[in-house]
Amino acid sequence: MELKRENFGDKWRVRPDGYDKVTGSLKYLTDYTFPNMLYGKVLRSSFPHAKIRSISTYEAEQLDGVKAVITYKDVPGMNRFGLIFPDQPVFCEDVVRYVGDAVAAVAATSEEIAEKALSLIHVDYEPLEVMDSPEKSLSSSSIPLHPAGNILHRASYKSSEQVLKELQNCPYVVEDTYETPRQMHGYMETEGGVVVPEEGGKITVYAATQHGFKDRMQLARILSIPESLIRVISSPIGGSFGGKDELNIQPYAALLAIKTKQPVKLHNKRSESVRAGIKRHPMKIKMITGANQEGKLVGHYVRIVADTGAYATLGPAVLDFAVEHATGPYIFPHVDVEGVSVFTNNGIAGEYRGFGGNQVTFALESQIERLAEQMEIDSIKFREMNLRDADDLGPLGQRIVKNDGAKSVLSMIKNSSVLTDSPKEHPHKITGKGIAITMHGGGLGFGRPDPSGARLSLTNDGKIEIAFGFEEFGQGLIASIEIMLMEALNCSKEDIKIVIGDTDLVPSSGSATASRSTNMIWNGIQKLKAPFMEKVLDLVADYTNTTRDLLYLGEKGIWRRGKRNQFVLSYRELANNANPSHVTFQTHFHFPTTPDAVIGGHYLYSFAAVAAEVEIDQLTGKVKVTRMDHAVAAGPVVNPLGYLGQIEGGAVMGLGFTLFEDSVMENGRYHTENFDSYLLPTIKDIPTETNVMVDESLMEGDIFGPRGVGEIGTVAIAPAITAAIHQACGIWVKKLPLSSEEILDALMDLSSPGNEQGVY
Amino acid sequence: MESVEYSKKTNEKEVELTFDLNGETTKLIVPAVYRLVDILRKDLQLTGTKISCEIGRCGACSVLLTGQVVNSCLVMAYQLKNSKVETIEYISKNSLHPIQQAFLEEGALQCGYCTPGMIVALTDLLGYNADPTDEEVLEHLSGNLCRCTGYTGILRAVRRYKTIYTNKG
Repeated sequence: MELKRENFGDKWRVRPDGYDKVTGSLKYLTDYTFPNMLYGKVLRSSFPHAKIRSISTYEAEQLDGVKAVITYKDVPGMNRFGLIFPDQPVFCEDVVRYVGDAVAAVAATSEEIAEKALSLIHVDYEPLEVMDSPEKSLSSSSIPLHPAGNILHRASYKSSEQVLKELQNCPYVVEDTYETPRQMHGYMETEGGVVVPEEGGKITVYAATQHGFKDRMQLARILSIPESLIRVISSPIGGSFGGKDELNIQPYAALLAIKTKQPVKLHNKRSESVRAGIKRHPMKIKMITGANQEGKLVGHYVRIVADTGAYATLGPAVLDFAVEHATGPYIFPHVDVEGVSVFTNNGIAGEYRGFGGNQVTFALESQIERLAEQMEIDSIKFREMNLRDADDLGPLGQRIVKNDGAKSVLSMIKNSSVLTDSPKEHPHKITGKGIAITMHGGGLGFGRPDPSGARLSLTNDGKIEIAFGFEEFGQGLIASIEIMLMEALNCSKEDIKIVIGDTDLVPSSGSATASRSTNMIWNGIQKLKAPFMEKVLDLVADYTNTTRDLLYLGEKGIWRRGKRNQFVLSYRELANNANPSHVTFQTHFHFPTTPDAVIGGHYLYSFAAVAAEVEIDQLTGKVKVTRMDHAVAAGPVVNPLGYLGQIEGGAVMGLGFTLFEDSVMENGRYHTENFDSYLLPTIKDIPTETNVMVDESLMEGDIFGPRGVGEIGTVAIAPAITAAIHQACGIWVKKLPLSSEEILDALMDLSSPGNEQGVY
Repeated sequence: MESVEYSKKTNEKEVELTFDLNGETTKLIVPAVYRLVDILRKDLQLTGTKISCEIGRCGACSVLLTGQVVNSCLVMAYQLKNSKVETIEYISKNSLHPIQQAFLEEGALQCGYCTPGMIVALTDLLGYNADPTDEEVLEHLSGNLCRCTGYTGILRAVRRYKTIYTNKG
């Protein structure tokens, strides 16, 4: 079914936070000011790799208006942070490992004075050789960046020891190495917020994150105060895409606020956001993939090298995910995948929408297309011959929830008009079409804490309050909560109060990440609705002396079924007459996991397919994506506008990854520090017609409800575009973002004498 | 009173400004090189105007300067003398502009951080051309970056505006 207004009736709803966003009245956390507020600034390293001989803050401290200058000596607790293990210094002590490393921070009465003060901090560095590539970091002459060396993590999956031997016997083999860029999240709101000291040694942290409770835990360790003294208020957020899950400015604003006993605001300039912030892992992926005479895939040999930058953050989990997804939705009798994530002095790579899946999917889908080309069969047919069946095991050999999404998305995309329409003719342009598909796991995977919590209650003023520890960074979380709760309780939006993004007010729900929130919200509501409704009906039956079986929850209050339904009692009247603590229900549960002990292995997967049409300018080599359609199988659509937005927006982020985006680094320094050189897609770069088709079905016995779609729209874009480019001009793009020069060269080759495909 | 504070912030030369802000005559004394975006966000607490790249590339800080869309991060205080500035707060002062309504109905926003700038830019375009072609919309919004929606919802909203709201008028 096509995802559009006409097909979704009442569910096509204006989002609850929409009015405040279109009028500009919504206060983001970086919009806040407080009385006596100071401005903070962080001094970042001058070198990508150096020893610190000394730090002198004296001159900065003397500047009029400066209230505090702090270094590692001012960190009362653990001078480290990191989501998986804490290896990143809050402030560097004796060595800096990337240009975003923090060395000192200042609080002053104005931003200008704070900026000036940074220039008065004197740091004596002894530059060290820069480990500017994984190859260099792994070479025998490398300098170890961490005590355990330069390998952050290794991951592998082998179903057979015979892969290379089997591949030797294959009549069709494609071998190549693919490279992907250091993509930036590019959220419009840079990292920032305010930390406010409160009574009794408490602090309130107003700063964006995807996981308020994790920030609270990490801050408690750094500040050496109990978590109970820290309140994290973290929504609304001006975009995140995985980029704000790790701590960023929070430790500095908190340390400065505690030291000065004044509120401290810290809002990164774009250049500092680029320098200090995390990126998508650049990966080099070697694949050797073979098929037999009958067109069946035989073996898949994969080696992944990921540049994880200076610190761990979520690097290990990203690599695990890439290894798991290197076989995609295909059945290979022989698989041998190994990956290594390597420390370098190049920024930091970490969590980013797609989580390692985008990189391997680009490589895998290119291999599949090229095998089909070698065999001279249609690539869709080749895929059909090798796709997983609904009850096949997962990619790591683990049991997964039965799902025929792979076949479903392929059959939907096959009929896309992008593929069936004839392209427009243009004198200087050639066109091509391509497709790609993907399979993407949701949740964190086996063996990783993946908890959620939810609370449903009746407030004193008669609202039905639902609370989750998730965050709203634009994805439409609160719209989804509203829709699901209205549906579950049969009430109206006016009856509901949604609470998120405040650790003092919400149950711990884990991180808003890994396409897990929609699923966890649905689960939480399913668990709470029955006890809540039963309690409400018991109370009302008792209070109004009505037969309980005739009562039901509805708009504004409780109704009685009859020839004509009658309004019995409003939620407000009920609240006035009941003890609200009796109508409060809380639940804790976990994201469903596979019963097989395969660390990191997923249980719930979603599927997507993309069809793209490109137009290549033969005079410039410039590629324009003129059309794109999507097919997604991720269970029921709870919030059609939110779902559509995720797929459309994810697609353009994937388009940027393919055509323009790269945080270019040389010797550990960024060449691209702002949007003049780091090119995000603009409205002129997008296909103006896009259709999204959805399969909402779940197979019999699938009790797990709707899956999240926050990531899947980005995953298979690149290989669909590069397949279209190949169809247009015959070359396979193996390095992203693509180079117009390379395409122009290929066009020149095609036009050289003797080439029958010649253009010009 | 506020204006006295500014001199303490920097050593820059100050200017006295009179300009029309959101329909009201506004007088300020600020350093001459203060940017309009700072005046709006820091001094006047008009935070609907956002700040993102600060080099005129993203359009998050778009305002109308004498009726035309500009990046307020590139407008210096001294350039404001006798000008007329309208911010997002003014556009929906009384009721939503129909393009704001269309944004809501078609999912033209997600995180919302670019949205005020988008709306400001579109009110400029729709002010002189109520029925723009797709190409005119693309051209006009090419200076406003959005990272969430992929712009598809924004185009849908403009089309809805054209079919519903202009037909009514």
